[in-house]
Amino acid sequence: MASGPDPKSLMPLVYDELRRIAAGYIRRERPGQTLQATALVNEAFVRLAAEKARPFANRTHFLAVAALSMRQILVQRARARKAAKRGGAPERVTLDEGLIVREAPSIDVLALDEALNRLALLDSELARIVELRYFGGLTVEETAEAVGSSPATVKRQWAMARAWLKRAMDSASDDSAD
Amino acid sequence: MKREQWERLKTLFIGALDQPADTRHDWVSRQAGGDEMLAREAAALLLAHESADGFLETPPAIDPADLAGLEEPVGRMGSYEIEYEIDRGGMGIVYCARDVRLGRRVALKALPPVHDADPGLRERLRREARAAATISHPAVATVYALEEIDGRLFISSEFIEGHTLRSEIDLGPIEPARAVSIAADIARALCAAHDAGIVHRDLKPENVLITNGGAIKVVDFGIAQMTSSKTRLTRPGEAVGTPAYMAPEQLVGGIADVRSDVYALGIVLTEMLTGEHPLTPRRQGAPAAASEIARRCIQTDPKDRYQSAREMLEALEGELQNPSSGRAPAPVARATRSARWWWEFHQAVVALVYGAMVWPTWTARTVIGGREGNAVFVAVLAAAIVAVILRLHLWFTSRFYPEELGWARVRAMGWVLGSDAVFATALVFAGALIGDTWPALAVLEMAVGIGAASAFALVEPATTRAAFRRSERL
Repeated sequence: MASGPDPKSLMPLVYDELRRIAAGYIRRERPGQTLQATALVNEAFVRLAAEKARPFANRTHFLAVAALSMRQILVQRARARKAAKRGGAPERVTLDEGLIVREAPSIDVLALDEALNRLALLDSELARIVELRYFGGLTVEETAEAVGSSPATVKRQWAMARAWLKRAMDSASDDSAD
Repeated sequence: MKREQWERLKTLFIGALDQPADTRHDWVSRQAGGDEMLAREAAALLLAHESADGFLETPPAIDPADLAGLEEPVGRMGSYEIEYEIDRGGMGIVYCARDVRLGRRVALKALPPVHDADPGLRERLRREARAAATISHPAVATVYALEEIDGRLFISSEFIEGHTLRSEIDLGPIEPARAVSIAADIARALCAAHDAGIVHRDLKPENVLITNGGAIKVVDFGIAQMTSSKTRLTRPGEAVGTPAYMAPEQLVGGIADVRSDVYALGIVLTEMLTGEHPLTPRRQGAPAAASEIARRCIQTDPKDRYQSAREMLEALEGELQNPSSGRAPAPVARATRSARWWWEFHQAVVALVYGAMVWPTWTARTVIGGREGNAVFVAVLAAAIVAVILRLHLWFTSRFYPEELGWARVRAMGWVLGSDAVFATALVFAGALIGDTWPALAVLEMAVGIGAASAFALVEPATTRAAFRRSERL
C-alpha cells in the first residue's frame, strides 16, 4: 500500500527532529537517563505537525516513517556498541556480578532485527506490523490504517508475528548458548 | 518454508486463537489432518504464543545521547552551547551551537574525539581555518575563529540554514537557467579563493550549500591547498579528495591547480543539468551551450580547459545573458512546473473528450438498437461519468491542493485505468456495429476509441513521468 511520498526521502527530516529533541533532553536532564523510543517519536510528530510546511500526509504516515527510522537508529547503535566491545574497550565488570540476579532481560535489538528480516522473507506484512507496533509505538488501530487493513486482522497478525519471533529468538539464543 | 505452507500455518494458528485456550492444541492437531509438520509448527507457535506475554509490549528504550550521536556529554564547550550534531565524517564533526557571548548561532567543526590528539589532523584543521578565513566572499562561509578549549580544537564559523546542492540534484535535473546561475555563483566563490591563492580541491554538490534565502555558500576547505605554501600536508603522489570529482591530474597524485577546481565545477554543472554524474552511462540531453561549457571544463588535459575560474565565469555569464544562443532541443530543459501544467491540461482535455462522446454514442445507440445498443451506451456513459469526475478531481487537486495530489492519485488510479479501458473498448465496439449504416459516425467512434487507447497507453505515462519527480511517481 502506497502511503504518500517515499519514506526514504522523509527520513532525514525525522532524524533531524529526533536529534534536536534528544539534544534538548541532554541539556535539561540528568545524563544517563533513558527515554521511551516511542514517546520520542510522538514528541517529534507534535513538533513537526506544528510546522507550516509539513510534508506528511497525516499522523499515521509520519509514524510509519519514524518507526523505520527508529529501527535503524537502534540497530545502528547496538551494532556500534557490539563493535566497541569487541574492539577492546573493556566493559567494566564488578567482581560480584555473578551473584546479581538478572532482571527480565531487555530485548536484544540485533537478534530482533535479524529475526524480523527472516520473518519479512516469509511474510512482509507481519514484519511491517511489528516494525510499526514495536519501533513506532502505533496502536492496533493506527497500524491497521497504515497497512490498509482492519484492526481485527492486525490483532491476529500481531499475535502470530510475536509468537513466531519469540520462537525464532529463543531458539537462536539457545543455539548460541550451546 | 514454502509460500502455501506458510499460508496454511497462518490460517491454522489464527483459527486456533478463536478457540478457547484449553482446547487449542487439540483443535490444531485435528485441523492439521495428516500433515505432521504443519501440526508441529502450529503447536510450537502456540506454545511460543502462550509464553510471549509481555514480549515486545514494552517500547524500546533509548539513551538520548545515542540519538544525538554524541559520544560524550558535550553540552557546552567554553562559551559555545552545543545544540545538535549536523554532520559527521571521518575528518570531523560539525555541530550547530550557540555562541552565548554574542548570542548568535554558529557552526562548530571539530575533530572526531578519537583523532583529537592527532597532530597531523590538528594541523590540517588549523590550515582549513586559515584558508577559509583568507577568503572574504559572500559565497564562502565566513570563519569566525579558531578555538582551543580543554585541548579540543575547533573552527567556529557562520551557521548556514539551508540544504546541500546534493539534495536538490537528487530530486532530478535542475532547470538550466538556475543551474547556470548556481554554477556562476560557485565560480565567483572560486575566483575569490584562487585570488587569495587557495585551491579548494574538494568541490562537489555535498560541499555547496543553498541557504533558505537562495544564496550559495561553498564550504569545507578541509583539504584546500595554499598555492604559495611551501609545506604540503599531502605528500607528492598522494591523492586526496573525492574521486568522482577529482581531475585526472589530481587522481594520479599530481599537483592540483586552479584548473582542477574548474574541472570539478564542470562535473557539478553537468550533474545539475542532467541529474546524473557525467561518467554514468545513461546521459540525458542538456542545453547545448551550458553543456558545452561543462564539456570544456572536464577535458583531461588542463590546457584544454578554461584556464581560470574567471574565464569560466565569463562563459557562464554569457550564457545567463543570452540563454537562447545555440540552444539545442533539450528534453530536460522544461521545468517541472510546466510539465505539471501539461499533465493538468491532459487531464482536462481527456475529461472534455469523455463528456463530448456521450452524445454521438447516444445516436449510435439508436442506430444499433436493442440490447446491444443499450449496453454500449451504458458502458460509455458509466465510464465517462467515473472518468470525468475523477480527472476533474485530480485536476482540481493539482491546481489548488497540490500537497494532497499524491494521495488523490493513489486512490483514483485503479478507477481511472478501469474506466479508460471500458471507454475505449465500448467506443470501438460501437463503431464496428454501426459501420454499415452510418460510416461517418462509425469512423468518429472508432477514431476516438483508438485515439483514447493510445493516449492512455503512451501519452499519459509520458506526461505523468515528466510531471512528477522520481519519488512521487507511482
